[in-house]
Amino acid sequence: MLGRLLRPTVVAHAHCDIPCGIYDPTPAKIAADTVAKMVEKIGALPKDGMDATTRGNFVRMISVKEEHAQICKKELEILWSDYFKPEHLEKYPKLHDTFWKAAKLCSKNKQNVDAAAAAELQAAVKEISDMFWATKK
Amino acid sequence: MRRGPWRVAVAGHSMEPALREGDWLFVLPPRRRPRIGEVVVLRDPRDEKHLLLKRVAAVRDEGVTVMGDRRDHSTDSRYFGDVPLTDVVGRAAFRYAPLGRAGRLRS
Repeated sequence: MLGRLLRPTVVAHAHCDIPCGIYDPTPAKIAADTVAKMVEKIGALPKDGMDATTRGNFVRMISVKEEHAQICKKELEILWSDYFKPEHLEKYPKLHDTFWKAAKLCSKNKQNVDAAAAAELQAAVKEISDMFWATKK
Repeated sequence: MRRGPWRVAVAGHSMEPALREGDWLFVLPPRRRPRIGEVVVLRDPRDEKHLLLKRVAAVRDEGVTVMGDRRDHSTDSRYFGDVPLTDVVGRAAFRYAPLGRAGRLRS
């Protein structure tokens, strides 16, 4: 041991904070838009007498919808937990509530084929996106 | 600004393998302009109370471009731009611990 006398008094950081350096609400928006688009396309499919190809497309659309609902949730959680700071909460007291509701909407959209829920999710992501860009001004 | 050499501890991994987390260094005050290849201690442009350790990649009249040695694991001038010379607070000159890797730091 070199003893206490030699211990540095200062820490200098050779850090990477790329995971916390790049934030953007765009991936969440694309995911929410994808969910809405899939709901729309699923709604446009013939109600009965689907042939094998149509059934295949239906399954694919469901799968893409669920996947993107999950992506949306993940992207929102990154913004929520890593980007937004206590000072943002002071400015946007509804911040936690907005994120919580948006995350729940992701789950709802994963489970259901519901155009209203998809539109609500898009609106919630837009609200978060607006808050995000307002903090950048 | 400090006058004599001062001691800093390395945190983080962006300067590996040259500097490792936990290394103890002597840092000299900047008596002259930094040179390309030197490791400098600078104030974080995003938080002046925070100090960074990076290598000088380019020197201009108004400031220096700094880069971590591990390009895939470093936040540096690619992210926060050039750093004014007034924010360069020292040059890392010597590692004194661990003793097995003690010695002058190379450019």
